[in-house]
Amino acid sequence: MELIHHKILGLATIIYVIILLLHFIYFAFKKEVIFKTIWWVIYINFILHTAGIIFRWIDSYRLDIGHAPLSNLYESLIFFSWCICLMIILMKKRLTYPIITMFSIIGALFFIAYASLSPGVDKGIQPLIPALQSNWLHIHVITCFISYAAFVISFICSILYFVRVDWSIMPDKDTLEEINYKSIMVGFPMLSAGILTGAVWAHYAWGSYWSWDPKETWSLITWIVYALLLHARFVKGWRGNRLALISIIGFFSVMFTYFGVNFLLSGLHSYAV
Amino acid sequence: MLPKEPLPLQNATNATRNSDIEDNSIKEKNTINRLFGFFGSVKLTVFILSFIAITSVLGTLIKQNAPAEEYLSTYSETIIRIIVLFKLYDIYHAPWFIGAVVVFAINLGVCTFTRFFRKKKGASFSLPDEKTLSNMELSFTLNKDLEGVLLPLIKKSFKKKIYDSDDGLIYEKNPFSKYGVPLIHISIIVILIGSLVGLIWGYKGFVVLHKGDIKEKFLLRGEGTKEMGLGFAIRCKDFNISYYPNGSPKDYVTTVEVIEKGRVILEKDIRVNNPLNYKGLHLYQSSYGVSPLFMFKIDGKEVNLKEHDEYETQGFIMIPIRFDASIHNFGPGVQVAYLDNNGEPKTAWFLRDIPKMKQRNLAGKTVMLEDIKEDLWTGLEVTYDPGVSIVWTGFALLLLGLYINFFVISGRVYIRRLPDALIVAGISIKHKERFRIAFEKIMRGLNGTDPS
Repeated sequence: MELIHHKILGLATIIYVIILLLHFIYFAFKKEVIFKTIWWVIYINFILHTAGIIFRWIDSYRLDIGHAPLSNLYESLIFFSWCICLMIILMKKRLTYPIITMFSIIGALFFIAYASLSPGVDKGIQPLIPALQSNWLHIHVITCFISYAAFVISFICSILYFVRVDWSIMPDKDTLEEINYKSIMVGFPMLSAGILTGAVWAHYAWGSYWSWDPKETWSLITWIVYALLLHARFVKGWRGNRLALISIIGFFSVMFTYFGVNFLLSGLHSYAV
Repeated sequence: MLPKEPLPLQNATNATRNSDIEDNSIKEKNTINRLFGFFGSVKLTVFILSFIAITSVLGTLIKQNAPAEEYLSTYSETIIRIIVLFKLYDIYHAPWFIGAVVVFAINLGVCTFTRFFRKKKGASFSLPDEKTLSNMELSFTLNKDLEGVLLPLIKKSFKKKIYDSDDGLIYEKNPFSKYGVPLIHISIIVILIGSLVGLIWGYKGFVVLHKGDIKEKFLLRGEGTKEMGLGFAIRCKDFNISYYPNGSPKDYVTTVEVIEKGRVILEKDIRVNNPLNYKGLHLYQSSYGVSPLFMFKIDGKEVNLKEHDEYETQGFIMIPIRFDASIHNFGPGVQVAYLDNNGEPKTAWFLRDIPKMKQRNLAGKTVMLEDIKEDLWTGLEVTYDPGVSIVWTGFALLLLGLYINFFVISGRVYIRRLPDALIVAGISIKHKERFRIAFEKIMRGLNGTDPS
């Protein structure tokens, strides 16, 4: 069934592609006006993306199974993509380097396109199963995905940190390090909040605030990796390559928490992502 | 967990790069000292956290608490021996894992204590020299006469004066933000204590209820058939499952009555996400199932039996042993075991929908299967965890600590009085960007009055 939100989100996907192309044009001509345009298109697409999510919400009420669109793989991918876009906008002041916005947009594009194009992702609106019927769902999913999105930015900066090209569009290492660290400063407390809200919810739904379910365990592992990173920086004074490397390890752990656990391991979280 | 008196430290604990712990040249290193040094080292933190992370991964790769057959069919004999030896089938409750977590908690406690709460004797804030200050990223010099204009501007957002002397002043913005990290650490210890309390004094179990059942006991988990008293009785008034139009489940509701001393104390609908809390026990909607109820007529007498129920009358014994919802498309049926006239065990099938197979003569008795009813049962998980409130306290403190540490801007402003001018410099470790805004606000305020 093709619903209106599918069309809106389809359009948003196309505009993400356009934003990507605008970046290429910027790199070719290096005109400030193109960079300004990029930001305007990002703003407009963020509104469109938000509208798509809201319309899916409304559509679910039309189908008489109303719930916030945060309940299955498709909805989580769309929301993850939205969080990345939100993070780009929130960090605008820092993201003065189009190469970082470009890779962030590629991230957002990847997840929204994966949601719409992969045959393995059910795009339909399913009713909420009893385990998910809780107000903790919203705060848990929102905090987790904002943290994931922040870690995406941190990951991009860490990868760029290792790229040794003397190119005018490359930010200097200090800037990369600063943005990397700043995004972890958002991601870490959000991940912590996501784990804690998940634990409180689990207490009411599963009868135990911590069950060592694979997703819980992997979120804890991710949390430990980023905690080690923060301590390496503040206690040991680590900088540079070593810190970027921990950030990359942390991001792989994030991705495994999100995807790997669902596809490879079975557990209590198997109904959702 | 923390020693009551501050102990002298050996140098091994001074793992911070910019350690400000004074140099205690202790010549006699007694055992307590060494232990304190060991538990206070950052190396131990890194090691133990990595250890916990890696063994946790192992726990997601090896299936936990699976039946023995599953391990036997997956792993070789040697690996199974290792799994059993280290309790890898239940890693997170293995003594060595809990031990590692306890070591981590002690390590965290000692580190936090030595770093944040040990009174530094004679330690006071000192004003950096002129060169250091002018090399700071945020720094400017000012006409000496403008101190009277400068100070009120600084005091607006840098409320606490931590140094005041002839050579200058130091003001601090949100000085409490330095308690963020110790608060986070303490809250983690609180959470771990709470979970330990739950591990020691808590228990879990399961109770199965058919409609109308009254139970006062529940089956303890992991302890075979051992039962435990609830401390009250629950009666299952009703159990309902509702479905969405597409067939997926919408709601599981067990309506129970809590009964004490024969009186109904309260009635409650237990749902997923909505447990019953009574006398410290939590009862969760956990599972459900269908068990068949066989309605027999034996020599004209109505007898209702569940699977494995034994029926005995005048030396005649029969037990329904196997239910099949559909036997070769002939509808539901039940296999019954009985003793024939010679005392030999025999079995016979009854099919509800086939008249010929509905009625049989077993050991001289006329047995008729009138109907098979599907009897729903509801499974409630029972938990008692006295540590939960401690864990919740830890969660609240942790969130507060994270907020203070990550979102409250902190920093210092130094003012050094030079013979002919003032040098003003600011520094923030965690929030450079937002601190810069606060600092530049001071500069802008001055620009209004100072044309230089």
